Amino acid sequence: MRALVRFPAGAQERARSLIRRVDLSKAVVAGVAGALAMELLSIPLRLAGVAAIDLVGELGSILIPGEHAIGALGGLLAHAAVGIAWALFYAYFFWGRLKWPRVVQGLAFSALPAILAILFVYPQLKLMQAHETLARVRLTDFAHIPLGTLLSIIATHAVYGLVIGWLYRRPVGYPVGDKPAAPAAARDFERAPGHGRSRKNGFMFTTGIECSYPTIEKGRWRRDEMASALHYRNWQRDFDLCRKIGITHLRYGPPLHLTFPARGKYDWSWIDEPMAELEKYGPEPIVDLCHFGVPDWLGDLQNPELPSALSAYADAFAERYPWVRFYTPVNEMYVCSRLSALEGIWNEQRHDDHAFVTAAFHLASSSIAMTDCILKHRPDAIFINSESSDFTQPCCPDPDVQHRADMENERRFLPLDLIYAHDLGDSMKAYVREQGKTDDDLARFKQRKVPRRSILGLDYYEWNERLVDTQGRIRSLGELFGWYVIAKQYYDRYQRPLMHTETNRTGADDAPRWLWRQWHNIQLMRKSGVPLVGFTWYSLTDQIDWTVALSESLGLIFPVGLFDLNRDVRSVGLAYKQLIEMFSDVPEFRECEGLAKVMA
Amino acid sequence: MAGFLAAHGYDPGPTQRPLTAGAISGVLAALPAVGVLWWFGSLPVEAKILSLSLAATLGLGFATMAVAGAVYGRVFGRAANDRRGGWLLGMAFGFALWSAGAVLVLPIWSGGHAPAGPAAVGVALSLLVWGGGLGLLMPSIHPYLHERLETVSTKSEVGPNAAASKTEERTRKRQPPRQ
Repeated sequence: MRALVRFPAGAQERARSLIRRVDLSKAVVAGVAGALAMELLSIPLRLAGVAAIDLVGELGSILIPGEHAIGALGGLLAHAAVGIAWALFYAYFFWGRLKWPRVVQGLAFSALPAILAILFVYPQLKLMQAHETLARVRLTDFAHIPLGTLLSIIATHAVYGLVIGWLYRRPVGYPVGDKPAAPAAARDFERAPGHGRSRKNGFMFTTGIECSYPTIEKGRWRRDEMASALHYRNWQRDFDLCRKIGITHLRYGPPLHLTFPARGKYDWSWIDEPMAELEKYGPEPIVDLCHFGVPDWLGDLQNPELPSALSAYADAFAERYPWVRFYTPVNEMYVCSRLSALEGIWNEQRHDDHAFVTAAFHLASSSIAMTDCILKHRPDAIFINSESSDFTQPCCPDPDVQHRADMENERRFLPLDLIYAHDLGDSMKAYVREQGKTDDDLARFKQRKVPRRSILGLDYYEWNERLVDTQGRIRSLGELFGWYVIAKQYYDRYQRPLMHTETNRTGADDAPRWLWRQWHNIQLMRKSGVPLVGFTWYSLTDQIDWTVALSESLGLIFPVGLFDLNRDVRSVGLAYKQLIEMFSDVPEFRECEGLAKVMA
Repeated sequence: MAGFLAAHGYDPGPTQRPLTAGAISGVLAALPAVGVLWWFGSLPVEAKILSLSLAATLGLGFATMAVAGAVYGRVFGRAANDRRGGWLLGMAFGFALWSAGAVLVLPIWSGGHAPAGPAAVGVALSLLVWGGGLGLLMPSIHPYLHERLETVSTKSEVGPNAAASKTEERTRKRQPPRQ
């Protein structure tokens, strides 16, 4: 995926509002520490003569009346339990919602338990300590809390908030160098029948397992979407869900950073069983060998060893899984280069044109080298070169605005121009020369003989169309021209068979609507004579943190999946099932002419 | 929280039956909660405040918990299916019921009477136990009540007509018929 600009406000709000991926152990530690900190503040206050609340004592005296050591211990444990419960509440509903420093977020959150303590809990604690079983109460009882006690409740809760805010962070991902839990072992179960690999030339009704694995925080923290979206634990179920709704092809990206731990070393244990399952039962995988990240030992996209290292990996992969025919050597080279080297979000996190051009050339070289290695093992391999379909519109005739838009509209083609041996536009030639590339560098790409079985994959989201505003800023336009118009620009340039390789949207109503509208784009494109071979809703399950382009580890769920993270179907999953049932047996889709030519 | 409810709670999932699952879970979760009430001697106190027999108090309690469970299922929707965090949502809901019901409504209803001492502890704990149980049970019970993918996927709302703009449809409905 894709996001060259942050998501539109509406989508962001919807996504931010969903239940979270929470790191339970971090939340428990934060809750216990917060409760202890409250007690540590409360004790000196009481020793200083302030009428501060003694929560441990109050809770303990409920368990065992009077001042008793066991009661105090019970009170301490009860207070820790309450601290944990509130910390979990914070982690699920509050953390990361505000763009504030995390201790300030914790402080703001602490107002909630403090208010509830004043209004309900403290008056009720007093009632619970009474000797009778029935009492007369007034709703204004909380107004009689002594001022010192009131202030101490606020102060101790503030300390609690500061502590949990300080301690709770980064609920998803892991430090670079670590590994997630190994995939679940394969089990035998009754599998749903699927089209899978049975229809050789059938139109490709596709989804994908979201698998991005860039690093953030200057290379210290690894994002791993397969781990975050629980795929390693549910891989067999995920493949079965695909079969249940009629998916024929699956974009599947083995975790490069785990399977390629050092030069010449490969750890296939991460994917051997999933690959065996896909081989035997389908759907047919479109294997995505490099998806927005590189192994720890390779560093980042500026590393000149990238093409040789990745081609060795592709060689080893194709040798181990010779039955795989569909490949995406490097996913969205332009987006990856841009977000890593121009926008400073992933991997090297640079902000300069030289770094961008270097990254784009390295990825394009890698893609070509990987393709050549795969062809040695599988001469009939099919390459789906997925790229984001972008367009930038100038808002007005201002020459600077026009120039910026023209530049963006040229730059979007750079990696595809390189791998498809297409001439760069004059302005782009000048741009890459300014960044140190020579005519010899360009000539090497231009001499390439592009494999016949290369499919141009184009991804499209509502934020792919952008506007350069009067201030020269790039803003999202939403769906203005649509996939048909933008994809046609790419098709006209490269004249390759086409596939819609990613799209999605949130919302129980909006997502099915978007799915069908994209499908109408597909039909129009086919009717205009373009050999269009497949369509993709991306992804199978909800994703994590794509509302912030994976730039921070927040655990926010982006609810765009055909299924949610519990693997319960979303309305768009039903819509896609209906679409596939409606069209998969239509003759022109059952025997897709464009695909038949590529497969031949 | 409002955003959370709007986005997640109102989208319980097309195959799901949140009301039924919530009601069943609410009743089942009430069993340990009643045990807590009995242990702390809260039941007779509540019966006295409500001026009901013990059996009628229990009956009213189970009925209330069924309704509350259904409300929980509908309001929290898909989020209530979260196996890891469901118990927390349930406990938060139980706490809210305690704050609203036992602490506010009950005293108002009974002219200012409320359980005190161990009885008050029992009421608070029972609602936390009930909420936690509800949140734990619902994710396990709900899958058995789901509609089948095969039948629900034929729904017209997700079919090809979904491509049309709903705004346009609503506008058209408000327009007078053509002569």
